[in-house]
Amino acid sequence: MLQHLVNGLIQGGIYALIALGYTMVYGILGMINFAHGEIYMIGAYLSIIALAVITALSPPLAGLPILCLFVALIISVLFASAHGFTVERVAYRRLRDAPVLSALISAIGMSTFLQNYIMVAQGKENKAFPAYFKEPLISHPFIVAGARITMLEIVIIISCILIMLGLHLFISRTKVGRAMRATAQDKKMASLVGIDINKIISLTFIIGSGLAAAGGLMVSMYISTTRFDVGYLAGIKAFTAAVLGGIGNIPGAMLGGFLLGIVETLGIAYISPDYKEVYAFIILMIVLVVRPTGLLGERMAEKT
Amino acid sequence: MKKSICYWLALIIGLTILFGCDAKSNIIKLGVAGPLTGEQAKMGTDVFNGVTLAVEEWNSKGGVLGKKILIVARDDMAQEHQAQSVAKELAGEGVIGVVGHFNSGCTIPASVVYHDSNIPMITPSSTNPYVTDRNFANVFRVCGRDDQQGKVAAEFAVNTLKVKQVAILHDKTQYGQGLADEFKKHLGANAEVVYYGGFPKEELNFKPIITVVKEANPELWFFGGIYNQAGPMVVQAHEAGLNAVFMSGDGVIDPVFLKVAGPAANGSYLTFSRDPEAIPSAKSFLDKYHQRYGLHGPYSIYAYDAANIILSAIQAAGTTDGTKVAEQIRKTVYDGAIGKIQFDSKGDLASSYYIMWVVKDGKFVTVESK
Repeated sequence: MLQHLVNGLIQGGIYALIALGYTMVYGILGMINFAHGEIYMIGAYLSIIALAVITALSPPLAGLPILCLFVALIISVLFASAHGFTVERVAYRRLRDAPVLSALISAIGMSTFLQNYIMVAQGKENKAFPAYFKEPLISHPFIVAGARITMLEIVIIISCILIMLGLHLFISRTKVGRAMRATAQDKKMASLVGIDINKIISLTFIIGSGLAAAGGLMVSMYISTTRFDVGYLAGIKAFTAAVLGGIGNIPGAMLGGFLLGIVETLGIAYISPDYKEVYAFIILMIVLVVRPTGLLGERMAEKT
Repeated sequence: MKKSICYWLALIIGLTILFGCDAKSNIIKLGVAGPLTGEQAKMGTDVFNGVTLAVEEWNSKGGVLGKKILIVARDDMAQEHQAQSVAKELAGEGVIGVVGHFNSGCTIPASVVYHDSNIPMITPSSTNPYVTDRNFANVFRVCGRDDQQGKVAAEFAVNTLKVKQVAILHDKTQYGQGLADEFKKHLGANAEVVYYGGFPKEELNFKPIITVVKEANPELWFFGGIYNQAGPMVVQAHEAGLNAVFMSGDGVIDPVFLKVAGPAANGSYLTFSRDPEAIPSAKSFLDKYHQRYGLHGPYSIYAYDAANIILSAIQAAGTTDGTKVAEQIRKTVYDGAIGKIQFDSKGDLASSYYIMWVVKDGKFVTVESK
């Protein structure tokens, strides 16, 4: 049981990290950034590439696997953020005042483009995550109540929670966070009081992409592999999580993510794996029927 | 206007028949069909080369029924619609037998044409059960069937590994679930299936399902699916402390599996065809092939045997009549390069094509050589 819960928490934490990106963009622009799942996938690839480059360039550094992981995390987050920034600049900014559907189509196009560009550049096969770097994190599992929990699993769960808390504090307590909330509430008014809304929107994409990349690194490490098409399904699930919690609502995305992950894992464990994709959507339907705006309601501005 | 086209057509058809008759008097034509261009060109060329070697040997001995053999090769580009028109072309050429096609998707439509034209055909590589399940008298294959693998795997698990508790997973595809079901069926009462379940073929996070499998405590777990999922699955099982033996089918035999799974792959059992390098009777063929064309493909030797089977059946039957040749093929036991070849009533190999392979020190090796 404990093992299933841990599995669920990890899956849920990852969904939540990706869901944050969806929900932040929705909160501010009122659009669904369908390319977000691909940014997560790119983050996973970037971390694997970064580790390969570190190993090749600096063998002494490679002797410290944990440090390498940090460096890879930073590189992956930076590059993925750059991807997110570029996606917004290229595909969405000019469509900001266009009908919602135009931006949506643009987002789907961007998603297809990114996926295929990685497929062409990196190949259709699985990319293995170098086992060497995760070895210290999994070599001494703790046995608790029959469950076998590795350091890696603890690190992933704690990082997810810390990152989310940090984001929550950033948005609710800092000046930039306040500017973001203001932009979400009313773009025109925000710009009238001196907020550069273009910068704030870019920042939203950068933060969202960075979170997704962190998720990408953790997942590829956890499951030892990645592939060019992992972003699609993860994106759909994370989007579901965001809607479940109330889209545009940051604590809602976290709640939705964890709930989804745990429900899915327990469904696999106690009902059947054949219906894995069904559990999440059953929960979604029930919640939307009872509370059409999601568990915690929409709009991050009004909530925080 | 229409009438004149009819005349022309009649003339062309007449000429074709004339040429056909002319050819029959001096030489015998053997058809080869497969993808000679496109992505799978290498596979088709492997087959063509194998047939070429066989035909050269026959011609140097004076041909068959006193006539020289001519190879008529046609390219089906691994495309179904192309396969059918290529088959019609070969039938029009008056070939006495066909080695091919390569892909199951091509063999199935093409075999209908050969069936209607009464031309015996042997495919070196099409494993889809449907190829022979229609009970066409003229269709044979010298490779295995997808559904034979499960039997070989189950027998190995029960008789050699002597496992009693088995978990079965599959990827819900026709191949994967089919394989898993065959495996389950052939386990019968000899082993208990403690867990059976499938997941989408895109899934890469297997921790939840592995936790369940681990709780069921099997001695062996079988996966019907391909290397893309088997790789991460085996690593994650290793990390989760699942110590049962891993077993799967030919979909997992791929270098990418070893790369992703790393040391965790060691000790995995996989069903696959025999290794020609380890068969003494294959040596002279392989030597000749290496000398002429370089490294042999996985199906070269099967194409070589297929050509020999058709030609020796014609020799033994003393005629090129399709029905008689097919009967002859069906009732004879051949000493092929790959070993003894005998067909059952459907046209499948009577003895099993699949053997067990194991991963040892990061390499695929056959269980015998282990």
